[in-house]
Amino acid sequence: AAPSGPGPASQKGEQGFQSPRPYKLAYQLVRIHSISFHRRSAAGFVELTILPTVADLSRIKLNSQQCGIHGAAFTYSDPTLEVCSSEAKHRALGHFSHAYATALHAVDSDAGNGELCIKVPPELRKCVNAFPVLKIHIDFSLDRPQGGLHFVVPGGEGSLAERAAHVFSCGYQNSTRSWFPCVDSYSELCTWKLEFTVDAAMVAVSNGDLVDTVYTQGKRKKTFHYELSIPTAASNISLAIGPFEVLVDPYMPEVTHFCLPQLLPLLKHTTSYLHKIFEFYEEILTCRYPYSCFKTVFIDEAYVEVAAYASMSIFSTNLLHGATIIDETPLTRRCLAQSLAQQFFGCFLSRMSWCDEWVLKGISSYIYGLWLKKTFGVNEYHHWIKEELDEIVAYELKSGGVLLHPIFGGGNEKDPQVSHLHFSIRHPHMLSWEYYTMFQCKAHLVMRLIEQRISTKCMLQVCNKLLNLATAASSQKFQSNMWSQMLLSTSGFLKSISDVSGKDIQPLMKQWVDQSGVVKFYGRFAFNTKRNVLELELKQDCTSLETQKYLGPLKVTVQELDGSFNHTLQIKEDSLKHNIPCHSKSRRNKKKKIPLMNGEEVDMDLSAMDPDSPLLWIRIDPDMLLLRKVEFEQADFMWQYQLCYECNVVAQQEAILALEKFPTPASRLALTTILEQEQCFYRIANSMVSTWTGPPAMKSQFTRMFCCKTCPNMVKTNNFMNFQAYFLQKTMPVAMALLRDAHNLCPKEVLTFILGLIKYNDNRKNKFSDNYYRAEMIDALANCVTPAISVNNEVRTLENLNSDVRLIVEEITRFLNLEKLLPSYRHTITVSCLRAVRVLQKNGHVPSDPSLFKAYAEYGHFVDVRVAALEAVVDYTKVDRSYQELQWLLNMIQNDPVPYVRHKILNMLTKHPPFTKNMESPLCNEALLDQLWKLMNSGTSHDWRLRCGAMDLYFTLFGLNRPSCLPLPEFRLVLNLKEEKAVLNPTIIPAPATGNREGTSNPSSHAPLAGFQNPLPSSQEEEMEMDMDTVHHSQAFSSQHLSMLERPPTLELSQCYLASARSALLPSCVGGYEGAPTSKAPWGLDLTHKGAAQVQSPPEMHIYPFAVALLCSPLSRKRPPPNNEHHHHHKHKKHKHKHKHKQKHKHDSREKDREPFSFSSPALGRSVCSPSLSD
Amino acid sequence: MADAASTPGASGSGTRSGSKQSTNPADNYYLARRRTLQVVVSSLLTEAGFESAEKASVETLTEMLQSYISEIGRSAKSYCEHTARTQPTLSDIVVTLVEMGFNVDTLPAYAKRSQRMVITAPPVTNQPVTPKALTAGQNRPHPPHIPSHFPEFPDPHTYIKTPTYREPVSDYQVLREKAASQRRDVERALTRFMAKTGETQSLFKDDVSTFPLIAARPFTIPYLTALLPSELEMQQMEETDSSEQDEQPDTENLALHMSTQALPVGLDSCETGVCDLLAVEPLVSPGGTAHPAPRPQACAPLGQMFRDESGAEKENTSVLQQNPSLAGTRNGEDTIIDNPYLRPVKKPKIRRKKSLS
Repeated sequence: AAPSGPGPASQKGEQGFQSPRPYKLAYQLVRIHSISFHRRSAAGFVELTILPTVADLSRIKLNSQQCGIHGAAFTYSDPTLEVCSSEAKHRALGHFSHAYATALHAVDSDAGNGELCIKVPPELRKCVNAFPVLKIHIDFSLDRPQGGLHFVVPGGEGSLAERAAHVFSCGYQNSTRSWFPCVDSYSELCTWKLEFTVDAAMVAVSNGDLVDTVYTQGKRKKTFHYELSIPTAASNISLAIGPFEVLVDPYMPEVTHFCLPQLLPLLKHTTSYLHKIFEFYEEILTCRYPYSCFKTVFIDEAYVEVAAYASMSIFSTNLLHGATIIDETPLTRRCLAQSLAQQFFGCFLSRMSWCDEWVLKGISSYIYGLWLKKTFGVNEYHHWIKEELDEIVAYELKSGGVLLHPIFGGGNEKDPQVSHLHFSIRHPHMLSWEYYTMFQCKAHLVMRLIEQRISTKCMLQVCNKLLNLATAASSQKFQSNMWSQMLLSTSGFLKSISDVSGKDIQPLMKQWVDQSGVVKFYGRFAFNTKRNVLELELKQDCTSLETQKYLGPLKVTVQELDGSFNHTLQIKEDSLKHNIPCHSKSRRNKKKKIPLMNGEEVDMDLSAMDPDSPLLWIRIDPDMLLLRKVEFEQADFMWQYQLCYECNVVAQQEAILALEKFPTPASRLALTTILEQEQCFYRIANSMVSTWTGPPAMKSQFTRMFCCKTCPNMVKTNNFMNFQAYFLQKTMPVAMALLRDAHNLCPKEVLTFILGLIKYNDNRKNKFSDNYYRAEMIDALANCVTPAISVNNEVRTLENLNSDVRLIVEEITRFLNLEKLLPSYRHTITVSCLRAVRVLQKNGHVPSDPSLFKAYAEYGHFVDVRVAALEAVVDYTKVDRSYQELQWLLNMIQNDPVPYVRHKILNMLTKHPPFTKNMESPLCNEALLDQLWKLMNSGTSHDWRLRCGAMDLYFTLFGLNRPSCLPLPEFRLVLNLKEEKAVLNPTIIPAPATGNREGTSNPSSHAPLAGFQNPLPSSQEEEMEMDMDTVHHSQAFSSQHLSMLERPPTLELSQCYLASARSALLPSCVGGYEGAPTSKAPWGLDLTHKGAAQVQSPPEMHIYPFAVALLCSPLSRKRPPPNNEHHHHHKHKKHKHKHKHKQKHKHDSREKDREPFSFSSPALGRSVCSPSLSD
Repeated sequence: MADAASTPGASGSGTRSGSKQSTNPADNYYLARRRTLQVVVSSLLTEAGFESAEKASVETLTEMLQSYISEIGRSAKSYCEHTARTQPTLSDIVVTLVEMGFNVDTLPAYAKRSQRMVITAPPVTNQPVTPKALTAGQNRPHPPHIPSHFPEFPDPHTYIKTPTYREPVSDYQVLREKAASQRRDVERALTRFMAKTGETQSLFKDDVSTFPLIAARPFTIPYLTALLPSELEMQQMEETDSSEQDEQPDTENLALHMSTQALPVGLDSCETGVCDLLAVEPLVSPGGTAHPAPRPQACAPLGQMFRDESGAEKENTSVLQQNPSLAGTRNGEDTIIDNPYLRPVKKPKIRRKKSLS
């Protein structure tokens, strides 16, 4: 480190943003001078230019993972590498989760922490006042990184470039630390210079402007020099190196696209649309794209489909498609649009803290939604909103609330409202992937609600204002301290809103942002003929944890004979019934056109309706202005009218769903009518077809639409020019195959019909590929399969194969074989075939055997195929309870080269677990538990997503508490909360040895002791529910507690965990026993975060020994000299099996105190207060 | 033989001497053939207007004729055997002649020429007796230009044909049916073949042959097969594309074709050449090249096209934008579009300085 540069940084530009670091980052240089694909390694250095903001800067904390760092004067500790000690016997996820949260906090850059701690030399510290700029130079090397950078090195012949070897950065949230040392936070901005020396045949794509490309000596390598002058967070830095084909966008020369060799034609077609998205965003935001260039890179084995970084986006190569592919086109365009929206909000504007993440996600999805509306139409947009709404509602009702803006005050209370989760939402790296997806989804919906409240115009003005502020700030020099304007916070966002619109959105924020949960309505109505009033009864379900009560306005749309009328009801605390006056009288036999919502007037056949009522249909909250679930009861004819005449796709969809309950001819007629309407939105048609419940009337429908006039049993040659018809043609057979006759078998004619479709499928004259269509035909075949009639579980053989099924098998065999010779786009047909084979197996037609799927799941197959095959294996594992396959899957989770596949397997296993926590299963054994625990604890430490996935799986399999398959400890100390006092279990007389560890591990739990040894697993629940707030600390209790244990804890034990903790971790804090971080009162509270935070605040450290000493003085006898730490540690290890002891509290499991990190874990937070430490 | 007499008697003496020397019948046949050929050569010479010829030249010509005829025979035999027959047919001879560079069409006229000389039948020592098993109908008499000692025409039923016409199947349904089942058969046969010759997997443990599945084989680069269209699809695309273009007003195509044909040979690559031309032509005045005459013709429809179809023009301008950039990457020249990735890579000099400092 060398001091240099201009004067000190002033603080005046800092508005609202308090940096957690005692310095500010101004500029960072990253240079990777060698990358080896063979060894999968990289080496280089970084140079950080920082400005200290405190007088004596002694330590600089940076983030770094996996990097080998050379040089002296630094300490490194990463508690997330191994969250709990490997010998741990107590395997409760709750404990792990706490420990993990604490570990994450200890390295959290947003809290000013980091894995890497650099000591500023004292001699330099003296000069800091004179030269307030420090430069830190760190040489680093990466060897076989398990996260952060992903190497793709295909085997085969030829040079690396010919084999399309490439490498790219990837990760979930801020994970740049895994490929170079940095301040890995979204809130620490600086300008960048990035230099990469790569093979001459390769291209290095990174953020910012490519300033120079220079050959090295001998022209064997070249160096790419990038400069990023817009202040950017390290988390938004990315890199992709490979033998890319370069395509300059024909419409925008600043935009460059990259793809792997041979894919250039696809790239041309795929990106030909991008300029329109650019135009759209720039127009609505009235703001130019903030960066001077934009790059898209399409790479294989992508971590996520779309990843947006400053001025570049990394996409999965599987998004590329040619002109013949219909289905992929809208999907890919959506991905492009999403990534571009995130360029504005997420990359350019960065978040201030994790709590503000929802604003960025919300705005970027919101403007993406506007694009979607414009490009694919209002129907598609509504459909999407409805889909998201349904998803979030389903998730919240099932798994608990999603909290957008968690406020963590103080840091020592429990996570607000989310105690039902098995992870903490304080840290992005702890979130379950599903939760995070839902989080984004909800952020968008809430943003839409805000937009509805303040109008689209205002919303865009807000966006524009935020961007303009940031743009102004970005061009400023570092000294002006304006850069914090580029950080978006919730409060900043709200201020902009009130500035622009003048409206108060606090109630909305309070309802949806600051608390979790959705609203659930049950609705019914009655029509009062005398008063001509509609009596609407609305009930809210607020009983369950995941729902909340809604009070406020609610829109109800009533379609009457004389038109459609909107009513706004005020939902009050105790109002159940609402009277809505009707505008029109019921009319009998009077023919008149009926005006609809959109101003159209239509003729309707009113014969079906109730002659006394003028009501056609009623909709609650038609514009989806709440995050709600509505269950509304109305008569079947009303649903039918709603389906046929309501022009809103959402309404139609609701009606279709509701009509499932009314399989009457009238319903069928309504469905048929809508199906034939050409302007009908294709998705409606699709969803409708899949809910069809009538006899194979669909067949005649299909025949009429897609078969030849002259020979009705033959389908026309494919012509997919009309996409709407195409989608219908695809879906109808699939739905048709779901028909069942009285014996619950698929009608023979349907099967014949589908086989005919396959046989006569002719795509020769078609402009488009029919691979998706053929795949759907196979799905249709699979849908035809019904369970085999089996006579006492005979072995499935070819001889007893049903003749119909034989035909299906034959088709599947042929398709699957043909795929080997003429592969289809994205191997859609193979995917469908594999699924169909699994269906056949499950229904008992074909012997259940995973070997076929296992072959397709191997590395080297296309990722879609692999996922489909893995899905089948997961299903097999679940159905057949196969331990072997489960092991095979776990092995793949550990060893597969593709992170996405690993993540996917975990995800699928979580969704379809072979057993769950409440289930007895032969699979559930200790070895498996160990394996998973290891995976979660240390096996996945470089991939957050994977670790969270492992946690999810662990939660599903074993639950939050101590897994039941573990042998029970002999003695357990349990708290009885009901009685709130310490009672010894009368059956157990505490052995002299039992108290031994007790004191060391548990003493902080000052709740009354209930007794020893509760061998029943059910007691664990009780333990967990222990309310910490009721815990009171007193010396009296303490002594009672300890005396009850009859024997004071051995001092060795108390020392040893401290010792191990200290020797392994955070060496900077080691100052003696005082250094042990503990917390102040209330003693028993969860210290998850605080513990770690205090590690850095030496003044506080001195409080505890004193307090503890006071508390436990009778027990403190002596303090072993510090140099004996290790000795004690070993001793402790030796003794540990001898000391059979009880666990009073789940969190106070015995292994915890042995693990290195435990002293900042909640358990230790408590244990520090223990008598053993009091000296 | 009478004609042969008109040529100098040398030929006669040659044959005679040969006949005297030879004793075995094979040689006799050989000599007889040789004699006949000599007569033929002599008569042809006479026909060509020679009055006399040296013996050596007649011998040479005979030799040439003989080898020519032998070659016809040998080659015809090969053709006949190639089609698994033992007896050559007319078509074998025709193919042979064509193969040897002979214009078969001229043969009938030559055979019927007016000034031709008719050679009397060679003396037949022992007439081969052909078994007359069955005769049907009247054998056709020889046409006048065929000497009477040539073999008779075969029985009429061997060559007379009565054409019968059946309506070609044009029923849509049948055609579709046929196409579908044909395709299915081919697919099944092909996949079965592949399955038989390679590794397989099976859905049933007890029976691996009824539904063989070609074993899944991992790829080194799996995304390539998954994303790139197969060759068949490409081919189909081209077909549909071309058929579609045919439906459109043909001016564009025509212009393209004409321009490619009219282009100076110097522009080698047809595709880029056309693109360049399309882009450049309306902007730069034509002419001044090696082929000034055809170029204005080529440009006329092009110009029209640009005026008429604004849509086409738009597309082409995009080509115009894109093309130089691509050309830039190839040639390393400075281009209109300044994209940093297209700039040439710098020499290491500057870099070295930096690294030293």
